[in-house]
Amino acid sequence: MPSHRTVTYLYISIKMYILLRMIPAISFQNITRSFRDHFWTRKKTVIRDISLEIQPGEVFGFLGPNGAGKTTTIKIITGLIRPDSGHAAVFGAAAGTMAAKEKIGFLPEAPYFYDYLTGDEFLKIHARLTGVQDITRRVDELFSKVDLQNARKQRLSMYSRGMLQRIGIAQALLGDPEVLVLDEPLSGLDPIGRKEIKDIILQEKTKGTTIFFSSHILPDAEAICDRVGIIISGEILETGDLDTLLKKGIEADRMTLEDWFYRQIKDRQK
Amino acid sequence: MQRIIAVIENTFKEALRQRILVLIGVFSALIIMVSIFVTPFALGEASKILRDIGLAVPALLGVLVAIIVGSQLIHKDIEKRTIYTVITRPVRRSEIVVGKFLGLLLLILVLQVGMAIVQQLTLFAYEGAFDLRLFIAFPFLLLEIAVLLGILLLFSSFSTPTLSSIMGVIFFIIGHASPDLKLFADQVNVPLFKYIAYGFYYILPNLENFNYRLELVHHLPLYTDQVLYSIAYGIIYTVFLIYFAIIIFEDREFK
Repeated sequence: MPSHRTVTYLYISIKMYILLRMIPAISFQNITRSFRDHFWTRKKTVIRDISLEIQPGEVFGFLGPNGAGKTTTIKIITGLIRPDSGHAAVFGAAAGTMAAKEKIGFLPEAPYFYDYLTGDEFLKIHARLTGVQDITRRVDELFSKVDLQNARKQRLSMYSRGMLQRIGIAQALLGDPEVLVLDEPLSGLDPIGRKEIKDIILQEKTKGTTIFFSSHILPDAEAICDRVGIIISGEILETGDLDTLLKKGIEADRMTLEDWFYRQIKDRQK
Repeated sequence: MQRIIAVIENTFKEALRQRILVLIGVFSALIIMVSIFVTPFALGEASKILRDIGLAVPALLGVLVAIIVGSQLIHKDIEKRTIYTVITRPVRRSEIVVGKFLGLLLLILVLQVGMAIVQQLTLFAYEGAFDLRLFIAFPFLLLEIAVLLGILLLFSSFSTPTLSSIMGVIFFIIGHASPDLKLFADQVNVPLFKYIAYGFYYILPNLENFNYRLELVHHLPLYTDQVLYSIAYGIIYTVFLIYFAIIIFEDREFK
């Protein structure tokens, strides 16, 4: 017979597990955001009433054509912009607050970094901004993880596109975040670069990190994601696991994702 | 604190690695040194001229660096999107503003120390003795530049570098014309003009408060109350400016 104490511990653990599962890693509730180019032009709605929940440990691919609202959505999670209405949260903490930012590692789209810094200086400064304890050890680890040891002392202005993307991933991983938010992590890279970045993302996936990434390229999503959401013209069209979606619409007509996007957009314009 | 230091370090390195700054620095040092060759034409005023140039050049250098770098301090980061990886970290926006301000002030401090040394060596080469009293001018110069940087940071947090630098120059000129504004206010007879002039006099920074060059060059006495007033004025004015810059920056979005 298990002792009373064991049963209590078991009960608490199960309860905690359920409770943790109930708090999504990322949640959007009815997010709408519009912009205007100039104060005299009309507002244009970029994302409309988006609701989404991403569970802890899930890898979520946010797919959509250029200009669909992917980056705007990502900027709302990371606190770079605020929604007009609705609520976004990271593990229950409102997006943009210190509590939310502590949990996120973020790689912006086509990242621009301080190019007057060397790779080493860049990571160390960001490590201090993140509040990393053992900076030297963590920075060493990440340089070997993204395979840039030989370029540590080089200025970022000398880095190639692929190297910049890798150091971008490294800076996102600095604080060992629970949630990784990657905006188009694979775009603009050659096949080797894509493979390297994908491998790093997959490693993080096995560690149980929640990953939210945007892309407009279907094979990327296939390789990495548990679940995808498809956004077109600021609205979420479908969410679900990729296999189901593929069977449902895309592959049934032997379409590429681009064809499918194209048809969807044309349908909407009619 | 760790985070502010990281921003300070980043700002300092960014500014230091701009070639134009090295150029301005070297050029300024050269002007101070070359002032020795002007002395034969000075007709007995050589020591005054050496001191005048030695204090005027660092002041201009500081203002120039503040305007060139300060006007794009925040704007460039937003424009180049380099701020994205900073602002999305667990960092307060106020820490970024304060760090940037202190980073650039630190750079100007380093430049000023360099200029002060060049100036003393030049004096020593000509007179065979140092005039350490001249060092007193530098903390006040730094206060003046802190106020100016505050203005630039404030404008830089919402407008373009061009507008910020123009405002920097305008505030610099008005700041030094402040005593004249007071004189105008005292003497004008039309009440409306009087109140407007007083209003501007009290709102706009009075940069002449930090100017002790005349006293130092001519070996005149300095009065404690006046010196304390200058220090308090500089610090309070700068804190207000930074505070407003933070309020604007807190509210800013990065589209």
